[in-house]
This record gives sequence, C-alpha cells and structure tokens, in this order.
Amino acid sequence: MSCPARLAPVLLASLLGSACSAVTPSSPNPSEGSMPTRRILVNGVRVVVQEFHASDVVAVQLWVGVGARDEASSELGLAHYLEHMLFKGTVTRAPGFVEREVEGVGGRINAGTSLDYTYYHTVLPAPRAIPAVEMLADMSVNSTLSEKTLDLEKRVVLEEMRLGEDNPRRRLSRQLYELLFDGHPYGRPVIGTSELIQVLTRETLVGFYRRHYVPESFVLVVVGPIIASEVLAAAERTLGRLPRSGLKRLPLSAPDAGRSARLEIERPGTQAYLGMAWLGPKLDHADTPVVDLLVSILGQSRSSRLPQMLRERLGLVSSVSTAYSALEAAGAVTVTAQLEPANLARAEAQILRELQRVRERGVTDAELRRAVTAAEARYAFSTETAEGRAYAFGRAETVWRLEEELAYVDRLRSVTPAQIRSAARRYLDPERYARLAFVPPAR
Amino acid sequence: MLASLAALVAAAGTAVAQPPSVTRHVLPNGMAVVVRENPVAPVVTASLQVRAGSRFETAETAGITNFLVRTMIRGTARRSGTQVAETAEDIGGSLDASGEVEAAEIRGEALARHWEELLGLIAEVALEPSLRGEEIERERRLVLSQIKTRAETPFSLSLDTLLRELYGSHPYAWHSLGLKSAVERLGRAQLAAHYRAVFRADRAVLAVSGQVSRERVVRAAERLFTKLPRSGAHEVGAAPPAAPSGERRVLERPAQQAQILAGYLGPGLNDPAYPAFRVLGAVLGAGTAGRLFAELREKRGLAYSLGALTPFRTGPSFLVTYLGTAPENSAAAEAGLLAELEKLRRAPVSDEELARAKAYLLGSFALDRRTNARQAWHLAFFEVIGVGWDFPERYARALEAVTTADVEAVAQRYLNRPSIVVLQPPPR
Repeated sequence: MSCPARLAPVLLASLLGSACSAVTPSSPNPSEGSMPTRRILVNGVRVVVQEFHASDVVAVQLWVGVGARDEASSELGLAHYLEHMLFKGTVTRAPGFVEREVEGVGGRINAGTSLDYTYYHTVLPAPRAIPAVEMLADMSVNSTLSEKTLDLEKRVVLEEMRLGEDNPRRRLSRQLYELLFDGHPYGRPVIGTSELIQVLTRETLVGFYRRHYVPESFVLVVVGPIIASEVLAAAERTLGRLPRSGLKRLPLSAPDAGRSARLEIERPGTQAYLGMAWLGPKLDHADTPVVDLLVSILGQSRSSRLPQMLRERLGLVSSVSTAYSALEAAGAVTVTAQLEPANLARAEAQILRELQRVRERGVTDAELRRAVTAAEARYAFSTETAEGRAYAFGRAETVWRLEEELAYVDRLRSVTPAQIRSAARRYLDPERYARLAFVPPAR
Repeated sequence: MLASLAALVAAAGTAVAQPPSVTRHVLPNGMAVVVRENPVAPVVTASLQVRAGSRFETAETAGITNFLVRTMIRGTARRSGTQVAETAEDIGGSLDASGEVEAAEIRGEALARHWEELLGLIAEVALEPSLRGEEIERERRLVLSQIKTRAETPFSLSLDTLLRELYGSHPYAWHSLGLKSAVERLGRAQLAAHYRAVFRADRAVLAVSGQVSRERVVRAAERLFTKLPRSGAHEVGAAPPAAPSGERRVLERPAQQAQILAGYLGPGLNDPAYPAFRVLGAVLGAGTAGRLFAELREKRGLAYSLGALTPFRTGPSFLVTYLGTAPENSAAAEAGLLAELEKLRRAPVSDEELARAKAYLLGSFALDRRTNARQAWHLAFFEVIGVGWDFPERYARALEAVTTADVEAVAQRYLNRPSIVVLQPPPR
C-alpha cells in the first residue's frame, strides 16, 4: 500500500525517467482478488505469485536484497551501477535484449536501487510472463558486465549525478539523509561518488555481483492473469537451479540518537528550500503505523496542518509537506518546504510550533479518521494495477514480511489519538533535528 | 506481436477480462457524461473538463484558465477551501484542478462507496465557486511561485524557451501556468467573467470511471449539473499562425548539465499525418531502441536523460528532442542530436524499426490507460476537444496502419530547419 512508511527515500532508475513514477507502492485488497501464493524454493529463492485478472497485463519483478547500505566505503554506488549494467547483455543474450524481448512486444522494463534493495520491474502482455521470468533469472546471474560497456556506462552515471545536482528537491532529500544519518550507511548517496565511479574496475563490480546476486537475496514476484503453478514451475527451473551461496545478509545496526545539525548551502535561483529531519521508527517497529498517521495529519494532504498553517494562513511557503520513510534499520521523518529566502527563519519556527502543538495537545478524532481513510483509499487505489500489487509484495518480502503488509491497514485502524501524541513526543523533538537549507547566492 | 498489448489492455477491465463498459449520455442541458464501469478496485475517479485553456488565451490573459480553476477549488458558496479539502478527504479522496493547453479539469477521486458525494462536491465547486478575494490572492502567490520555479529549472526553462521559438505569437507558445505579467494583473472581475464564459454545459464533459453503476451516475449527474447553463456566446477566435523561428538560442544559467533541445512544428491530431508524425517521434525517442538512446546514450555515453516529446494538440503539435549532458560535451551532443534528425530526413526507416516504434507507442498508450484516473482523464479529454471519447481506439488503429513511406513523408515535410535551444553554464 502506498502509506508513507513505504516510500523509498532514494530510488534511482536506470533506463528512462524516474523510478518513482513507475509504480505506486501498494498492496492488494484481498477482497478484490486471490491471496498471493508464497513459496520458498530449496535454494532460498522466494517466489510470490498472484492471479489477478484486471487486465491481460502481467507484472514480473525481481527483487534483490542489496542496496547502498551493503556497500563498503570503497564501494559506494556499486549497487546502483550494477543495476545499470544488468541491462547490457548476458552470456546468451546479446545487448539489445530489452528492446527485443520487452519493448518489441509493447512491454516496459526498468529498475530502481535504494538504500535497502534493488529491483527490476517489467510489465508485459500476459503470454510473455514465463519468458520474462527466464530473462530476469538470466540477468541476475549471467550478465557479462563487459569492460567496454562498463567504461561507457560510467559516462551515463556521471550524467545522472549531474542531473540530480540540478534538481533541488532531489538534492535536498539526499543531503538531508546524509545530515541525519551522518556516519551510518543510510547517510550514503545511493548513486555513489564520481571519484569512485571513475576508477571502478570490472573486477570490483564482478566481485560485488557474485557476492550479492545469490538465491538467498532473490524475490521473484509475478502478478497478472497467469496460472500460478506454471509460474512456480518456471521459477523452479530457472532461479531454483542456482546453487545456494550461504550468504546471510548482515543486519544493520540502528543509527545513534538523532543528530542535531544545521547546514546552509548556496545554490542558483531565487527561491529557498528547507528540509528538517528526525529519526523515526524502523519498518519492523510497533510505532510504524502510528508515525505513518502522525505524518499524514501533519502534512500529506491539502487539509493537513502544515500546509494549512504555513501555506494557507500565513503565506510563508509555496509548498510544504511531510514524509516518513520506514527503512529496515531506521526511519526518517522529514518536513520539506519551498519558500522565499526571507521567510526561512519564520517558517522553521512555525513548523516547530506546529510540532509542539501536536506534542502538547495531540490530534482530533476527525483528523485521525481522515488520515485512516486516506490510507485506506491509497490502499484501494494501489490495487488497480498488477505492478502496484507486485511492488508491495516484493518490497514487503524483501525488507519486511508479506503477512505484515497484508494486515497493515487493520493496524492503522487501531491507532488512537493518545498513541499519536506520544509518538510525536518520542520522535519529533523540536530541539534536536537535522536542518538543511538551500539559499540563493549572496549578491 | 505488434498490437498485442494495446489490444489486450483495451479489452481489460473485469474479473474475466471482459471489455469495460463505456457509455456516453447527453444531459438535457447538453452536457456530455461518459461512464466507464470498472469493478477491479473499490474506487471511483471523476474528471470534469471544459473546453478552455491556454490555447484560447492571449498574452494579456495567459494563465487565466488555470488560475480560475485553481481558485474554484478554494471555496464555494457553502464551504471554505479547507472544508472542500476536508470533505474530499473524508470520503477517501482528493479534489484537484488545473488548466491545461486544450482543456481545464476539475478532478476527484474517492472510495467507490462515496461516488455520489464525490460527484456532488465536483458539481458544487463547478457551479457555486465563491472566488473570494483572499483566496484569489493566495492562489496568485502560488501560481507566481510555480512560474518562477519553471523559469529556474534548467529543463523546463529550455523547453518553454523552445516553445516560444516554435510558436511565436500563437498561444501554444506559453505554458498553461501562464505569463507572470498576466497572472500578476488578473482580477476577480476577469476571473468571474471567464468562469461564466467557459463553465457551460455545451463545452463541458464529465467522465467517471470506477466501481459504479452507469444508470445511477447518469441520474446523479442530471440532478447535480442541471443548473449548468446550456451555452454561452463565447466564440473562440482564431489563433495567430504559429511561426517557428528556426533560430538557435543560447541561455546561460548556472547548472551542472547543459540542456540541448531541438524542435519542429507538426500536424494536429486531426491531421491524417499525425499518427505517422508520432511514429517518427518514437523512432527517435522511444525506449532503449529509440535512435537517440541507442546512439547518444548507449554508444557514446553522452546523456542519462534524453528523448522526444509530441503532445496531443488540436492545432499544430510539435516534436521536441532533448538531452542533458556535461557542459564540455555540449557541442558534441548537439551535433549528434542534429545528425540523428538529419539522418531521419535523408533515409527511410526500416520495416523493423517501424514495427518497434509502433509497438512501443501502442504499448505506452495502452499502459497509460489502465488506472481509473487516467481513464477518466482520457475519456473526458478526447470528448471535450471534439474528437470523441473513443478516439484512442481509432488512433491505435491509425498507428498500426502507418507505413515506412508515411514516416518518410512526414520527415520530409516537417523536419526542416529545427529551432534550437542550448542552456549552458556561463564560461568560467
């Protein structure tokens, strides 16, 4: 489902456009289709399949339990770089296979890399489901990662970095995480650094590939008008035949208590951007649904508190919103705003006043009801497409648990106003937070 | 293989993949209502569109339609803006509005069980907007901020500059947000007059898609929209002719990447040449097999983001090709981009390339119409611009029929003397 807890904070796409636009994080409404089938193959590959007959389009996704957090400090950007390279050909598929096997039949494929995971997602006409499973399985272990394409792709990734630098919102989000999680793997840039990318060798990349692209890391998700047993059989004869690697992903320690840090950076333009961040509960925490609703009430709709106060009543900002990213080892609650530079101090003070108000007086029943209804609606809308469902299953299976995902809306419904107030007190300390501002250059 | 996805998706919609039922109904006042019953998810979306937008504006009124509809959702005779938002959120939905180039839209979504309240809220906003002075000023501030953001964002600034080069004094020359000079001056009287002129039954379409019953939606719409006046005397003046400059403009802005855009005018969507023009754009910019991706990204590593844009326009459309590259590669990337355009003009595309481009276009078009929100938008949009809600099916068939000779003909006819915009950081 598309509750704020599940939005990947930093997700980069490899082929065309933004990964974030490709799918809405979602989970299915069991009443609108069969429950997904979950199977663990003998070598540890997990497979989730759901027969879903909304259209004759199938979503086939391969999730890999590797992200920026798994990189050593000398490997920054490798998970993302590898994701680009998997589209360049395998020992049996010449470069151009994407066009021949996916786009040529009217389908689409792309991929995204985040801090906790990497995933490859396709949508295709349903009869292409089994060939897509075979293609993704082949990419996952047989990519050639040739020297020549490796060097060429460096230029493309460096362009992707430049593009990110020219986008203030994307840059704000990345740097705010760096500030909040300073010294922790979640503070690393998913895209890496240009210094490391420039000297990246094939040997290093192949080492990373062999280490992380193993059966124990894989989750295959297929949703569409398919026959589950056929998909499971295809998974068995492809991914199921890979030898176990023995890999156990190291659990990530939680970051130290939230940082108090302030940073102001000049960037071109006449408008300012403000970001404030607090540590929140990790994905697998009892407070996750509570913070989800708290953040929704604060700033995720037109009627929510921060837009109403800062944008509508006081006219201090042109936009303001809140987000909560629940990662595997920690969470981040962020408030971001776009505004005139002269309003920076007042806007920040007003945001803190609003947080203080929730900490002291809590939220109303009507606000809570509205936030739960909004979550229920996001959930319902996310069941419209096969890829929306597949995304929710894949992400839950990779970094959480499928059954938790399926029961999540019920957990939201049981949250009380008192819990929200105490979560605001626990997590949103108005005196301890990371604060980043982009301001126009001094004249 | 070619048409597979489009055909399959178009036929999608129920648990047994029966074609979803779309029907069109005309209310006694002349307003069209298009309903698509889609039982897949317990949700409903509605799109109320009127035939208005930047296409019908002048330099003095540029942005008035967007400004108007954005202000309309800020309060009615019965509810404040906050109450409108709260009412929408209470039914698991949201209400939004925007003025685009060819049409203006008030759209909403909700949980299906609240479909009638959703339609009621849209009707209230459309029929009883308060257009209060303080709300106008709030919206003005936000729109001006959006205009400023576009002007400070390298890609949108470059695109807007190129569209001015391509269209000259034709209203397609400016973004539907409008011109700063106009938005700063528009007053309540002008907004109210514009409201009376464009919110007319004969130029409005309501499309509803979701878990709803057609009969009940039509009955509710008859009741809710009966007060929408039948017609206005509002005549649309002919737009000045579009006159591409064919020039190369250089903008200097601090940025990490240079932006290179080259564009041409093309046929409107009613022109028989339009499908071939879209295929031409797809040969260049569609997916990993598009010539720009294959040549400039895969072979030469010059860009991460690049592509080709062609919109649905009733008047002359455009083909804009673009890429972002390191400033030191700017000259090579520009030469590469222009070489690809020239190549297309000089040599016909192969049968294989044609088939790929068509498959990509048909796939994109079909994939884009699977959610209720996109369906409602498409149904209302094509109906309100006068080509009919079922235009997508005819368009898909026309795309399938495009030949290599058709593509060659549009390349010869339209790819002459590109207008070019290059945005780059100032020399150090």
